[in-house]
Amino acid sequence: MSRLRIQQLGFCLIALLLITGCSKVEYLKVDSPAYLRVFNNLNYEKTLDGKDQEVPFLAMLIDPVMDEKGMPVSTAILGDFLDQRAPYAPPYPSHVGNSTSVNNPEYPGKEDVLVAPVLNGFDLSSWAQVPSGKHRIVFMFRPKNTVPFFNLEPRLKTKVLIDTIIVLQEKEVYTLNVLQKDYQSKKNGVLLRHENFYKLPLSDSLVYVNFYNLSAKGYWEADYIEKGGNIGSKGALGDGIRDRMNVFYSLYRKTSTESMLSNYSGKYLGEIKRNTGEPDVSPYYSFPLFADPLSNGIHTNIWQRLDLLAPGMDPYSKPYSGIDKTTDNNWAPISCFSNGTVPLDYIRGDENYVLLPNMIVNIHSGIYNPRSFATVNTIEIVNGKAYLTTIQRKYAAPIYK
Amino acid sequence: MITRRYYTMSAKLSLKTLFCHLPVLLLLFFSACKNDELELVKENENISSGADFIKNNYQLSLFSAAIEKAGLYEQLNAAGPFTFLAPSDAAFNAYGIFRASDFDKMNPDSLKMLVQGHVLRQRVLLQDIPVNGIDVRYATLAGTQVYASLASNFGGDVSRPINTLYYNGALVTRKDVQLTNGTLQLLNKVMKYSRGTVQDWLNSRAEYSIFVSGLKKFGLWDKLATKGPYTVFAPTNAAFTTAGITAEIIEALKPEAYNGNRLFGGYILDERHFFISDIDILYYFGNPTIYLKELENDIWCTQLTVNRENDKTLNYGLRLKKSRTGSSFTTSIARNKDMATMDYLTDNGLVHSSPGVIARLTDARK
Repeated sequence: MSRLRIQQLGFCLIALLLITGCSKVEYLKVDSPAYLRVFNNLNYEKTLDGKDQEVPFLAMLIDPVMDEKGMPVSTAILGDFLDQRAPYAPPYPSHVGNSTSVNNPEYPGKEDVLVAPVLNGFDLSSWAQVPSGKHRIVFMFRPKNTVPFFNLEPRLKTKVLIDTIIVLQEKEVYTLNVLQKDYQSKKNGVLLRHENFYKLPLSDSLVYVNFYNLSAKGYWEADYIEKGGNIGSKGALGDGIRDRMNVFYSLYRKTSTESMLSNYSGKYLGEIKRNTGEPDVSPYYSFPLFADPLSNGIHTNIWQRLDLLAPGMDPYSKPYSGIDKTTDNNWAPISCFSNGTVPLDYIRGDENYVLLPNMIVNIHSGIYNPRSFATVNTIEIVNGKAYLTTIQRKYAAPIYK
Repeated sequence: MITRRYYTMSAKLSLKTLFCHLPVLLLLFFSACKNDELELVKENENISSGADFIKNNYQLSLFSAAIEKAGLYEQLNAAGPFTFLAPSDAAFNAYGIFRASDFDKMNPDSLKMLVQGHVLRQRVLLQDIPVNGIDVRYATLAGTQVYASLASNFGGDVSRPINTLYYNGALVTRKDVQLTNGTLQLLNKVMKYSRGTVQDWLNSRAEYSIFVSGLKKFGLWDKLATKGPYTVFAPTNAAFTTAGITAEIIEALKPEAYNGNRLFGGYILDERHFFISDIDILYYFGNPTIYLKELENDIWCTQLTVNRENDKTLNYGLRLKKSRTGSSFTTSIARNKDMATMDYLTDNGLVHSSPGVIARLTDARK
């Protein structure tokens, strides 16, 4: 009796092994990948003049297959629901966990794709793996709804914004910007930037930042009201900045009595030039992470103030005050404070700045909560708006006591 | 021993008895659950279907009359679902209809189109319209489209709700009235749509003949038959005559002696599709209530200003500004406070009737 039972049990086990043993896990793999991150810089405001224009809500198709009529039928890589970019591109692809909307403020963003590894200490999980080599890349207008691109009616899959070729090298990091090249003619284009921050010997005790002005030609000359410069909280930047500006920075200590760090007040940082054609990487400028002598070397609560000023002006000689929303395109202040949504109410009479998150990342790491980390940042100015992209090194996981 | 057997037998008996009585017990068990006092939620019997509701509503007596005269009563009482964009009696009065018999003067087909053009093929509640959506189009029973524009909140701030909704420039003064076969939205204006182009619209109305001859004189007429879209502020003949521009004067006018763009071009906004309410809606998104657009190849601008009165009616003022900045205008202002003569929708744009002119002959003389 018992022998029979043991035999039955053995048979069952073998059967189980045979059945489960057949399942095969298919690991996704991209051969010889390049790393790509895409932003839709075609920002817009709801204005009377723009009411009847196509909304730049895009679908990105890499290596699409078109039928004889030019209608896309399939694609190797699809970046759908590509909305205008968010003011902050965080170091980790956290967009996916922060909303229930399908609208994607960047690619890969919310897409479930293979991402880049840690390169030279930098966490590149916001970059997607795409096969290296030559690719046809097509950006198409799509209606603003939640229907996936290939399920749309045929008549809605015909409006091409850009159809171009890009070449990506293996294991290199690229940022692709879809942008407007000319404000009057509404000509659009793409700019593929070959990033180099992961190849540079950057210190982890300095905060780095570089600047790009990806504004369209003629934006700052255009009429203030017509371009919607007054809409939203764009401050003095809404009117646009001149094609060539100087950047000054100041560091502030966030305490009950707000104070500027005396050694870091209105210091010259570098230059920013309008450029929508050349894919050059701008030089990185830096300031110390623990610039505040009162900080303990673990955590610092300083925040950054940037003043973009026309050549010939400096933060102490500008003929405008903090309440001026139009500054003849000569001055635009940016405050990098907290998470970029908490207004600075303590600097009275100062209303024309654009708010972005603090460049210094303060987060629980190891036994320290919070601990301050230096980062590598990119600030892009696009048609009256400012965007901050922060890249952070991989850091130690938090230890909870 | 005997006793034990007796007990065993007794147990067997009772089990058997139990099984025999089980159906009866079950019956008792279930019937015990019955509760006559239980009250079910009664369905509201006061909700009526669309055409009935409109007929029983004193504020909608003219729309009801129109439905009956158009022979659509049965259809609009059927399952649907529909969205009734019902103009109030006051709206019909402004449109020139004061009693049911006035509909008899209308062409029956036009009347049917008018009613069908005020009924959507689906139930569209406020919550169904995209947040802050502009020109969201819905199909009507007439086969036409209506444009819904909604300002949900102020400047995209969800903590400051507004929910101002317009259909084809007509304000929804009462939203989401529940009906068995859909919903009803009360409008403060009759929606007006004419098949054909802006050019056809102007051509078919004699009261704009001076404007038409002026446009023809300066080569501005032909484009109004093209794709557009155009927004045209059409001054009436009375407006031109008051300003000293009569048909005879236009006839005798030498085009080379005048700047036609300034004299007649200022009334036309090329590639724009504006209901007067659009300026009101976009104001909530941070736009100014003054809209400026340069004339073609000129620094002079058409300036459109829209005001909302306390009774929520809109009126507009049109002026010709001599440059985008500064405050130099021509002397004439075209003001229209009659909401019923705005927002005539055509297939390639909109026409707003204008009781005044913005440029006199002296303003445009070269």
